[in-house]
Amino acid sequence: MSGRVLELAFDKFIFRFPEDLRYSESGVWVRLEGRRARIGLSDFTQQRNGDVTFVEPKEPGAVVRTGDEIAVVETIKVNVSVPCPVAGKVIEVNGALEESPEFVNLDPYGKGWMAVIEVEDGGQEYGALMTADAFLGLARRQAEAEARR
Amino acid sequence: MPDLPKKKVGLIACSGEEMPEGTVSRRAVREVLEKLRPDDAVALCLPLFLAGGEGERAFARHYPTITIDGCEKRCAAKATEKFSGRPASAIVVTRLREGPGTCAIGSARCLNAAGKKLAEKVARAVASETDRLLGRKER
Amino acid sequence: MKRRIPVVPCSGIGKSLGAVAREAAFILAEDLSPERTKIVALSPLVMGDPETCVEVSGLPAIAIDGCKLECAAKGLAAAGACEVHKIAAFDVLRRRRGLKPEGVSELNEDGRLLSKAVAEEAAAVVDKIVGEDEDA
Repeated sequence: MSGRVLELAFDKFIFRFPEDLRYSESGVWVRLEGRRARIGLSDFTQQRNGDVTFVEPKEPGAVVRTGDEIAVVETIKVNVSVPCPVAGKVIEVNGALEESPEFVNLDPYGKGWMAVIEVEDGGQEYGALMTADAFLGLARRQAEAEARR
Repeated sequence: MPDLPKKKVGLIACSGEEMPEGTVSRRAVREVLEKLRPDDAVALCLPLFLAGGEGERAFARHYPTITIDGCEKRCAAKATEKFSGRPASAIVVTRLREGPGTCAIGSARCLNAAGKKLAEKVARAVASETDRLLGRKER
Repeated sequence: MKRRIPVVPCSGIGKSLGAVAREAAFILAEDLSPERTKIVALSPLVMGDPETCVEVSGLPAIAIDGCKLECAAKGLAAAGACEVHKIAAFDVLRRRRGLKPEGVSELNEDGRLLSKAVAEEAAAVVDKIVGEDEDA
């Protein structure tokens, strides 16, 4: 992670949102690396879903459209389908998560990355994703709605 | 400062495997959280607190806490004071047991009916303290 | 070995895995290996209570944690156990895929099954420690 990290403290939970990333509404972060996009679950999303026990990403070579399932994440609470935030081809998946799925919880923006996608459109979709500030606002609203339930 | 739609109280129970009063502490906190004051209280995990859990310690620095200890070792109260600040209220289960007719409450693994009743009594005391700390009249 | 092996569960109150770790410690120390193990509470250990620290100092010990934050293992290492054998309910759960433990005050059926599995793995560690001690 480089650059500033925004924080939202809610109850006893602290959620972090690095400013150099973009975020989909479903809580997937994206880091643009030239023509490639590295993705993973945001800190907010991983804390909500609980301890990750298994991660099953799409295989390298798979072509994905925006919104297609890019991975299935099993936690002790739920099984979550992770929608792909950008269209392209999967070129790499994080093999370390097979032995150590807890990286998604312990280091969501670092060792917990899930897949790298070669993007189709030269970064236009990336530009349309939410900034850290906007996603923090969404996360706050979702946390408040849950607290009221 | 944690951002909350409303003020809440942090509850910290001892882990207490060595004596049944420790189990009473845990059970009482879960009772408050799940039934008596679900919107007003947050359970802070003492093991995580001790291991450096930043969320737990930050909450305890900014919001009032109630510690619930099984015995006079008062691990939860001491840990809270050491890492975040003096608890606003500290309950010790063995003190609530004092009085005539104290009977066995079961084991640390499994409370008997008297132990469960004691947990309910402790839970009511915690709920009452929660109301006081939130500036509410007794319910 | 005359002194019993200390077993320290994390007993986290926020997650069902903490309750699983706690119940597993009881199963181990009361049902599976009562003469060879003894539960030691984590909080007084970390807070430096002299009576509690003496139970652990210089002995091999077993930390039963719920999740990978490893609060019990960290506490035991800091308290002077000569060797910390780590068991995480999380890892045992991964070996028994499909179980969904729930509840903290009362574990569900999957939680109780997982507790038993964790305790059995811990009992195997006890056998190993005692075996090594007898060989020494």
